[in-house]
Amino acid sequence: MKVALFVTCLVDLMRPSVGFAALRLLEAAGCEVVVPESQTCCGQPAFNSGDRRAAIALAQKTIAEFEGFDYLVAPSGSCPDQIRTEYPGLFLDDPDWRRRAEALAARTCELTQFLADVLKVSSVPGEFDGNVTYHDSCTGLRSLGIKRQPRQLLDKVRGLSVKEMPEAESCCGFGGTFAVKFGDISAAIAERKCVNLQAAAADAVVGGDLGCLINIEGKLRRMGDETTRVLHVAEVLAGTNGKLV
Amino acid sequence: MRSQAMFFQRRAGEALADPQLQKNFTGLRDKFVGMRARAVNAYERDFDELRDAGQAIRDRVLDNLDVWLELFEEKATQRGATVLWAKDGREICEQVVAIAQQHGAKKVIKSKSMLSEEAQLNVALTAAGIEPVETDLGEYILQLSGNEPPSHILAPAAHKNLDEVADLFAEKHGKPRKTEIPALTREAREALREHFLSADMGLSGGNFLIAETGSVALVTNEGNGRMVTTLPKVHVVITGIEKIVPTLEDFATLMRLLPRSATGQDISNYVSVCTGTKGADDSDGPEHTYFILVDNGRAGLVGSEFQPMLRCIRCGACMNHCPVYQSIGGHAYGWVYPGPMGSVLTSLYTGLENSLDLPHAATLCNQCGVVCPVRIPLPELLRKLREKQTERGLRPWSERLALSMWAWIAQRPGLYALATKIGVRYLNWLAGGADRIEVLGLAPGWTAGRDFPAPQGRTFKELYKQGQEKKT
Repeated sequence: MKVALFVTCLVDLMRPSVGFAALRLLEAAGCEVVVPESQTCCGQPAFNSGDRRAAIALAQKTIAEFEGFDYLVAPSGSCPDQIRTEYPGLFLDDPDWRRRAEALAARTCELTQFLADVLKVSSVPGEFDGNVTYHDSCTGLRSLGIKRQPRQLLDKVRGLSVKEMPEAESCCGFGGTFAVKFGDISAAIAERKCVNLQAAAADAVVGGDLGCLINIEGKLRRMGDETTRVLHVAEVLAGTNGKLV
Repeated sequence: MRSQAMFFQRRAGEALADPQLQKNFTGLRDKFVGMRARAVNAYERDFDELRDAGQAIRDRVLDNLDVWLELFEEKATQRGATVLWAKDGREICEQVVAIAQQHGAKKVIKSKSMLSEEAQLNVALTAAGIEPVETDLGEYILQLSGNEPPSHILAPAAHKNLDEVADLFAEKHGKPRKTEIPALTREAREALREHFLSADMGLSGGNFLIAETGSVALVTNEGNGRMVTTLPKVHVVITGIEKIVPTLEDFATLMRLLPRSATGQDISNYVSVCTGTKGADDSDGPEHTYFILVDNGRAGLVGSEFQPMLRCIRCGACMNHCPVYQSIGGHAYGWVYPGPMGSVLTSLYTGLENSLDLPHAATLCNQCGVVCPVRIPLPELLRKLREKQTERGLRPWSERLALSMWAWIAQRPGLYALATKIGVRYLNWLAGGADRIEVLGLAPGWTAGRDFPAPQGRTFKELYKQGQEKKT
């Protein structure tokens, strides 16, 4: 099975360890993984900012780069959702591109969904000594239905147990450019998320979208919490636990 | 009501900085969210199927709105009511004042009507020498408090707490200050009773218009709606043209959705279906009934990509569940309707250019979309409004420039790799060896309230390439 890893622009820039963890997980599960070198961004920031033209251009670029593989897998809920849910709608007047967009949409997966539901992995390489609490990112949860998959996989990590936080499904306040345009509102929402996750008294908060995690980590540290670790689910499942290896 | 939506940022900031308001919001949020969740869980069948049915009813009406409106007009007229049509707020005011003058009405009692807020009807009535009295407890509190605008469509005074209301009543009623809720409501009831008995005209909104019977349905919890629609000789209903449903059966379906979504009740305390004028055998009811059916921007949405917004049955679930509304309350939105539905309606009814922030003041978390009883895709509509702003060149030039530069670079992989390489080094230099950046000059909005974690130092692409080269 030939799988193309869509690293996501945020992981590429901020936290490559998430990309390497995803790579390790896919390879450990027996996939032949390709990382198309020319990939940049799926175009969601443009789409959500109301710039349809830029969103279309980036969608065409991404489709052309990824349509030749059995699957596109990304360590994020929000980028695969852009491809699965929004790409086809960008080409309403263009049957050829629409067909290509739909074909890619059907083969696009978020990482934990792919591991749990498509590959149905029975074990993961990860080891973690402690408790984690899981933050459900909005797009993955409400658009792609990702809820059970990360928990099911985290249960397979040796030494780890999941402690649920109150309001795990509530937004962390990130919202892409919202976090910068409306920084004060965004930070207020983030504070509530952090108070909730601290109530779980876990060693780490784990999530599937780096945008949320950067937001949560930034708020936790500003609140003076230096101990709660903030990790991407791929890092925990792969056993790298935040380290760049 | 003149929109103040252009001051969104400032007013949101003020709300965030007000500790008392923040406390009031917390209590409100937990109450509304918890009550809906309990009611939906306790519902004996699949609530999502019910939402499908609700959407289907609303879509059926909106696809042939003119036909249903004509049927309603015919049936309501048969039952002795007069049906009037108003294009905008000004026409509402003119018609209501004319009706009041025709019947010699000096005092008008009102149950809650958001359209009267759209039209600023109280101002027009007062100017014409007619006294409007709000009888919904929340609206009454706001009227006493110097005609404050509502901050929530169901709980207009949601931003006020018990102490504030106690102070207000003591001052305005001139009675000893009370601190218990039952004592305060009793005092309001006593004050309102006089108005109920002395009013010449009743004015209400309408939750639904039922086409097959020509009726208006009112869903309330306080009983004031009953008084307003039965005691005075004249009853005027003001509703938007989109509030129509075909049959009583459809109304019954929507009534399974509305109270559960709104207040977490299986059924509201009062449900009134008012049809026509007082008949020969009726013991009470108005002698004259008027329906003022209002456009005020609605007809323009029919057949457009924003038509789904007209499905709205005004339950308030979207705002109750919105992380932004929960943080800043309703006043920052600047017009009649707050929260996600308000951001869409304010943009569409008062002009995109007057509410530039509203479609962007959302994380697109879709919490609103999943609780909406008629499945309005609110995040999608907000995003479409963002597109409209871009198409019309309404976004600030700095934002447009940054976005097009980024998009231009992102289409050129070589250049993008170089730009991110430089970007990541710049961020690391800012962090100065620490694991976080405390002040980010390019995005001060981010670091005002939280840190920005430092990147790991190299882009994934650089590291991956290095790894591949080592292998070969």
